[in-house]
Amino acid sequence: MAYEQFANRLADIVGKANVLASEEDRKVYSYDGTSTWTHKPDLVVFPTETEHVEAVLKLANENRIPVTPRGGGTNVSGGSVPIRGGIVLVMTKMNKILSVDAANLSARVQAGVVLMDLQTALAKERLFFPPDPQSFLGATLGGIIAENAGGPVCLKYGVTKQYVLGLKAVLPTGRIVEFGGSTVKNVVGYDLVSLVTGSEGTLAVVTEAVLRLLPLPPARKTIIALFDDLPKSGETVGKILDAGTIPAKIELLDNWVVRSINRITGMGLPEDAAAMLMFECDGTEDVVEHDSRNVIRVCEEVGATQVLVADDPAKAQAYWKARSAGFAAVFGAAPTVLAEDVTVPRTRMAEFIQRVTAICKKADLEVTVIGHAGDGNLHPSVMTDAKDPAHFQKAQRAVDEIIEAAVEFGGVLSGEHGIGLEKQKFMRRTQDPIFIDLMRNIKDIFDPNGILNPGKIWEDRSG
Amino acid sequence: MAERLENTRKFQADVEQCMKCGFCGYFCPIYREEHEEKGLARGKDQLIRSALQGEQDLTKGFYEAIDNCLLCRTCVQYCPAKTRIDHAVTAARADYVAEKNLPPAKRIVFRYVLPHRRLFGLALRLASWFQGLLPRGQGRFRHLPQFLSALGAGRAIPDIAPRFLRTILPERSPAAGAPKYRIGFFSGCATEYVFPEIGEMIVDVLRNLDCEVVFDRRQGCCGAPVYLSGDFHTARKMAARNVEAFEDYDYVVTGCATCGSGLSEYPTYLADTPEKKERFERFAAKVKDFNKFVIDVLAADLDRLTLKPRFHGKTVTWHDPCHLARYQEVRTQPRKILQALEGLRFVEMSDADRCCGLGGSFSITHYDVSRKIADHKSDAIAACGADAVVTACPGCMIQLRDALARRNMDVEVLHIGELFTVRPQSKQT
Ligand SMILES: Cc1cc2nc3c(=O)[nH]c(=O)nc-3n(C[C@H](O)[C@H](O)[C@H](O)COP(=O)(O)OP(=O)(O)OC[C@H]3O[C@@H](n4cnc5c(N)ncnc54)[C@H](O)[C@@H]3O)c2cc1C
Repeated sequence: MAYEQFANRLADIVGKANVLASEEDRKVYSYDGTSTWTHKPDLVVFPTETEHVEAVLKLANENRIPVTPRGGGTNVSGGSVPIRGGIVLVMTKMNKILSVDAANLSARVQAGVVLMDLQTALAKERLFFPPDPQSFLGATLGGIIAENAGGPVCLKYGVTKQYVLGLKAVLPTGRIVEFGGSTVKNVVGYDLVSLVTGSEGTLAVVTEAVLRLLPLPPARKTIIALFDDLPKSGETVGKILDAGTIPAKIELLDNWVVRSINRITGMGLPEDAAAMLMFECDGTEDVVEHDSRNVIRVCEEVGATQVLVADDPAKAQAYWKARSAGFAAVFGAAPTVLAEDVTVPRTRMAEFIQRVTAICKKADLEVTVIGHAGDGNLHPSVMTDAKDPAHFQKAQRAVDEIIEAAVEFGGVLSGEHGIGLEKQKFMRRTQDPIFIDLMRNIKDIFDPNGILNPGKIWEDRSG
Repeated sequence: MAERLENTRKFQADVEQCMKCGFCGYFCPIYREEHEEKGLARGKDQLIRSALQGEQDLTKGFYEAIDNCLLCRTCVQYCPAKTRIDHAVTAARADYVAEKNLPPAKRIVFRYVLPHRRLFGLALRLASWFQGLLPRGQGRFRHLPQFLSALGAGRAIPDIAPRFLRTILPERSPAAGAPKYRIGFFSGCATEYVFPEIGEMIVDVLRNLDCEVVFDRRQGCCGAPVYLSGDFHTARKMAARNVEAFEDYDYVVTGCATCGSGLSEYPTYLADTPEKKERFERFAAKVKDFNKFVIDVLAADLDRLTLKPRFHGKTVTWHDPCHLARYQEVRTQPRKILQALEGLRFVEMSDADRCCGLGGSFSITHYDVSRKIADHKSDAIAACGADAVVTACPGCMIQLRDALARRNMDVEVLHIGELFTVRPQSKQT
């Protein structure tokens, strides 16, 4: 269906410059961070205030126009792809940090604020917002809340839902609501803040959020440990936590990534290392000192072949940069990279990685595993080429097996990227039908006409 | 007829690097003002990719997208996938121009005015006469009246110099001491017509650092504004002429960041045969920015640089032009010079290498955004407390002067070559 006829009415709401309908504009709002999902919207609309969102949703609801919210478009699950056309509601022009309240450790922001911009502003007041999705240069707080994003530090600090105190949002029927408040403790009724957080833009459009902050840790230290065998790295993680130390980050990189770091940075890491762990300890000086001593001791006890400590911030930064470079190399390594997001119990991580390697070896596929070892969230990435149907199918079958293995190991199919379109087909296979049924019913209450981000999370009733 | 998208196809591998992470948004000066995907490298990349796949015609909307780029390369510097969107955008502009021609104003300037030095001079003379009618701003700047809003309403533009460099500078300036090198001085259009005194000062410095300097009259426009706008055809003629004029010198030195990178990139965009590629590469290897030449090639004894009295006690900051910092990796050299100048205080502003928003003709065609981008620069300059901002790009200088004048900021904009003289070879050695 075409909705161009509504362009003028939308322009009356948000202003002419904030409604785009050209072929090119529709094209550049047809994708997200995935390589496979695209669909053009009919119209692109930029609200600049909550009341705009209210009026747009009223109009859309009355006329049954699909509306897909979009922040930075960095998600990797097809979440912001307007699969049914209609309106893409782009939140990037609502990008003001409304207030920072150092005394109450909270900030009020508009949904389109990019995480890095928030962190920069907070750092000036020696504060930070702990959730750290590695897409912080592009992801917006609206998208981060909608995906309940997490990152390396969630081992110690948790994920987004622990840091959202209140939300201002607009329901698909065009009603402005405020959920939660600005206090950490709040048990007034059902926790609708948590319900909307992680709802992938299907229940409400978030326009403002009150975020919980923490004081910026005054000290931090980075440690790298290399292992000649994978299970040893898994054992190390367990033992460090047992010893009572919770590093802010524990990142796991496999041999493939270690080699590409060497290639890119010339760091000269052992080429035969089966795994590399990267730790960051943070806190006050003495806590960091104590924790890093613990980490180093355990790594050595378990039998790391090499332990490197970054004694100054520049060196630490160089290490983390090398990790990002290694990460990025994964995506440049093949025309299509199927990057998964499974999470398994920490204790079964090594075993699971070995299974992944075996699955891919059997199918003659190149794979690399990187992940957040502290919480068992792993990103096995299978290299393929969508333009080569035979190879691509083979890769997709391997991914199916990987996901089934994760579930078999007691894990889940997505740790932080969400379901969107990308993981739908696994929902029915891996979830109790009542779970999907309850979600559908909740969705119907919020969105009786099914206009908000339709077609996501679960497959069509018909399909 | 030439193959469709012939130029873009050469950079297909660059186009296909993008993995759509969208990190470019954080670095793109335009996206940070407009917040629209078409302004973003990722958006441009997807449109160009779509064109290569035969799914996107070279429409007006397509041109608007690829035209809306400063080619500042900030996103390229940080792109995790190392996507060379600058290559892709420049080549796509060339294919657009080949198929649809340039917009009329650029066509006249690039094809008829810039290539002909005398005509260019004449046109500027005429313009300067008209300028006489414009309201005067501070110093040698005038404000464009509303009716010239195509050039940016209210913007300050520099006066055309009363005498052009060609009529001031002799063709050959002998080295002060035993000549180390014979160098060709490439002035560039802005230095020739707007800031001739800077050209003189640079030549004077080089001469006193024992170089024989030739201001070869055969030189023309470097071609960068022309080929970066997609007119490869005209720029090839300009390149041929400049290479011909300069290939026998030891070095080609310029005080203009854009000219320096413009000449250095001939092999990337303008070489249409293997022979030319080889010849352009040899030529490009000789091209040196003034700062780089003084520090890296001459390894000049910085104690010989003497601050001019009028700058004594002043605090200055350095603005990194995109075409120096990101195109030629020149960052430390000018700072070394500024820090060596006795009597001068050097402070860093925040984000010194952030684009000033000029982007050549971008500042004319997109003045509104260009101005907003420049305002961030003014903020940084104001915050660091400098009396003067020093740079090495006449283009940036024009933009910075406009930006500072708009804020009524009492901060001078200087070319690094204006600050010092060179003492003759010291006696104690
Ligand atoms: C290189 C890379 C690294 C990544 N690393 C991580 C990581 O470490 N951890 C992690 O969790 N994720 C990661 N991601 C995924 C992605 O960045 C996150 O999902 C992020 O939260 C998306 O934010 P966004 O602003 O880009 O949202 P978008 O991609 O625009 O949208 C995501 C979803 O949120 C909805 N949405 C957006 N804004 C709103 C709003 N205002 N109200 C309601 N719904 C909204 C959309 O409809 C969509 O369903 C990574 C992605 C990339 C490309």
